[in-house]
Amino acid sequence: MADHNDPNAVNSIFADIDYSAADLYDMFGFPTNGDSTALLALTFTATPKAGVLDSDVLYRLLMTSHPRVAFPLSQDLNFESAFGYFEAVKDKYLGELHPAEIRVTVRADQTALLKFIGFPCGNFSAVVEFNKTVVVRAPDGESIKVFIGGRDDAFFNDLTGFFRSINYAPQFYHVPHTMTEARELPIPKTLLELEDNDLFNYRPDFPTWGVFQKDGTTPKLDLPPGPWEWQGSKFKKDAKGNYRFVYDGSDCRAGQNCNAIVVEVPHRFITQDTAANRLVNCWGESWVLRAAHKVTSISDHEPSWLRHPWRAFKEHALDEELRAHKLVDTDGQPFADAALSEREDDRQLGANNFWLGPHFVKRLGHLGWGFGPSISALGLKCSFDHDDSPVSVHRIYDTAVAAFPRVAKTLFQQLNMPDTSWNPKGLNIPLRRPLEIFVPNVCAIDMDTTGSWPFGRRLEDQVATRFLSMFLDMGAELNGKKYHIDMLGDPALWKSLPIEPKTPPNPLKNDKEFLSDFPYLAEPWPESW
Amino acid sequence: MAALASAPPPSAYAAEVAKAQLDIERLETIVRRNTRDVEKRVRLAYRQFHLASLTHQQRHFAAAEQSIADALRDFGPKEDLCLLKANIDGRFHRLEQVKEDLRSCPSLGRRSAGRAVQADIDFQEGRYDSARSTLEQMIAEDRTWDNLARLAHWTWKFGDRVLADRLYAEAEDELTAKELRSFAWLELQRGELALSQGLFSQAHAHAERAAASFTGHWKNREFAAKVLAARGELEPAAGELMAVADSVSRPELHQAIGELLLALGRAAEAQHWLESALREYLASARRGETHYFHHLSDFYADAGAQPAEAVKWASRDVALRENFTTQSALAWALLRNGDINDGLRWINRALSSGVQDATVFSTAAALYGLSGDAALEQRFQNAATLICPQGRTVHLHL
Repeated sequence: MADHNDPNAVNSIFADIDYSAADLYDMFGFPTNGDSTALLALTFTATPKAGVLDSDVLYRLLMTSHPRVAFPLSQDLNFESAFGYFEAVKDKYLGELHPAEIRVTVRADQTALLKFIGFPCGNFSAVVEFNKTVVVRAPDGESIKVFIGGRDDAFFNDLTGFFRSINYAPQFYHVPHTMTEARELPIPKTLLELEDNDLFNYRPDFPTWGVFQKDGTTPKLDLPPGPWEWQGSKFKKDAKGNYRFVYDGSDCRAGQNCNAIVVEVPHRFITQDTAANRLVNCWGESWVLRAAHKVTSISDHEPSWLRHPWRAFKEHALDEELRAHKLVDTDGQPFADAALSEREDDRQLGANNFWLGPHFVKRLGHLGWGFGPSISALGLKCSFDHDDSPVSVHRIYDTAVAAFPRVAKTLFQQLNMPDTSWNPKGLNIPLRRPLEIFVPNVCAIDMDTTGSWPFGRRLEDQVATRFLSMFLDMGAELNGKKYHIDMLGDPALWKSLPIEPKTPPNPLKNDKEFLSDFPYLAEPWPESW
Repeated sequence: MAALASAPPPSAYAAEVAKAQLDIERLETIVRRNTRDVEKRVRLAYRQFHLASLTHQQRHFAAAEQSIADALRDFGPKEDLCLLKANIDGRFHRLEQVKEDLRSCPSLGRRSAGRAVQADIDFQEGRYDSARSTLEQMIAEDRTWDNLARLAHWTWKFGDRVLADRLYAEAEDELTAKELRSFAWLELQRGELALSQGLFSQAHAHAERAAASFTGHWKNREFAAKVLAARGELEPAAGELMAVADSVSRPELHQAIGELLLALGRAAEAQHWLESALREYLASARRGETHYFHHLSDFYADAGAQPAEAVKWASRDVALRENFTTQSALAWALLRNGDINDGLRWINRALSSGVQDATVFSTAAALYGLSGDAALEQRFQNAATLICPQGRTVHLHL
């Protein structure tokens, strides 16, 4: 029909964007069986459906074990030390670290080929069935529990509230893919509704606005023509003087499933020196088969590494397998992507996100001007320096140097835990700082703790609310107790604050009880859409 | 008891057509309930265009265009609607309308997708350097497969065929197993590139890979027939195309079948196909469409043997979009009509672009030969042979 080059005729931008099995959700990790094993769970979209995996996607669970890293002393906490930290982490991850991995590929018969690569006992492989717990025996006699299949999605979170807080327009408006500037609209981010903010304030006459529905739709409005701006000067208050919370504590993932790769790995299987190496860093990756290799495998018979899996463990062959795939997603820390990397595909660096250190500083500065004044307005102490601004401000930093003085405390402060239960052995384990938590982007399990976030991530951790607690001044006290990472999840706090609705921002627990034993994640829901 | 044979799985093409149709049905139900749901209205138009791109059926394109027109009327010039409209307008050679689409939504022109459309317009209107510069800049910003393919096409036409193939291969490398339709399309482009150089084995290999990656697509069979025809295997080529014609009705396909049958000496049979093609071309032109002008020119210049008509349609095409392809087509029509001097004028305009194309060079050689300039005839014949040592083979206008 056309006598010219016409790639758009087949261009996938014109097709709907389907759910992708490569879209990773969460990386969980915590010690089990005392401190002898580590539970690692990578969850991702239930595509094609819960319990059925996509054979074009390769998943990697990467892990390494090493001693705790001493953070610079408090007097060294400045711009130079922050970037020195990024550099040190980079050198460590690029130079010294050789993570072991469990690589999962899906076979045509809906079983999984697991390759255990780089562990002290040597490389080996196993084939496991889906949707059942399987014990894989390693050459050194260790047992690794494996579950691959459909589960209830363990994430419980008011996503609509989160998107409202960051003015994420595609959740509420029809925003064409081309309009990248209309994703986060350029008005102040905020935890409290802004007066006369017609763009995002809750609409009582449209309660389903921006809320994911059971039929798979999300009611939205037509994006008004720009300029998108907010001309007000204060937070919205009702007749009783209460602020309006952008969150309502709903569980937007209730009743929904995921697929998951869950393994319970002996610590001594990961490292020979478990006494010294008390941290287990882990992260997940998804890789999609490249088209050219798909076509090759269509015309070929069974790939050689399926017929002779041991042969594939030659380094050359392994590289070849990864080269045949394209890295699509990584997951280590919750909110490292959505909140701090703005969901940009080219920032899917996983553990190698130290390149993003300066970007994190700028992004945190931007978020701080939004969330900080909201926290202060509620009468709480804030870690972000917003010059006592009475209302949220829209500010973007061009350089990390400019943003740094504002975010220094937020980045460097130690995050207090609510009690001592996270440290059952009573060891001298330093509290973690946001800088350490998000760079590198790994789930860092401290095997001497319970693995509660940020010392890993347990299934029951309300990480979305804990993420917000970064903006609290951890040096402050409330009712004689130091601020801590679960403070914003305390219903009593919200009852005492001038705000409606009087609810923690996110649900306090998952919609389905977790299991007390492996694989811990709850059974999947019947699939209704 | 004999075991029941299980039905073979549907081809990738059939599955994708079925999915697109199902999506369209669902979306139509939703938009009937709520005509103000702009997101679903836009998505419906996109899915309809997707279906039309698969089937190339006029009614599918018409449905997509109607949905776009309705949505533009109801919601105004939204970026995604204007982008879709620009792509459909470009597909049907309505370049002035494409420019209007970009003008109606100024922000679109600043986007990557809008800039790619502008690069396509520049190429079609002979601003080759501008097109290349835009594409190179866009690739430096974001290495997308479709822009690599655009640059590959540019590179091919201007002579670096090795680099062009490498760029197509790089474009393929950007695609995953979830994008096999696009992969197959790229394989067909590489096949065309090979075919233009007389590299029949390579063209055949690309045809096979396209067929393996997006099974059941009639485009793959069309291209396989082109390879067969170029090799001189006219009978099987005609058979392939007739099989395609059982399920796809396109006038250019009918023309190709007619031309093959003519070459096989089956003039009476050929007449039926050629008349069908001409009828559709002319009906399209009567509807005010322009995208078959170059087919009309080809038709009348060769199989139709009415060179004056060929000149008329080629002139109309060149007036719409003057580039080396339309200039060369007009030159050929003029040659067939005996207007050698005018033919030389137009072929020289095509040559001045710097295009490196065996067909353009062959046309130039023929014109210079008829004008009595044996030296230039030989020079251009050599240039054509350098690109395609086999010389003129059977070329189907598909």
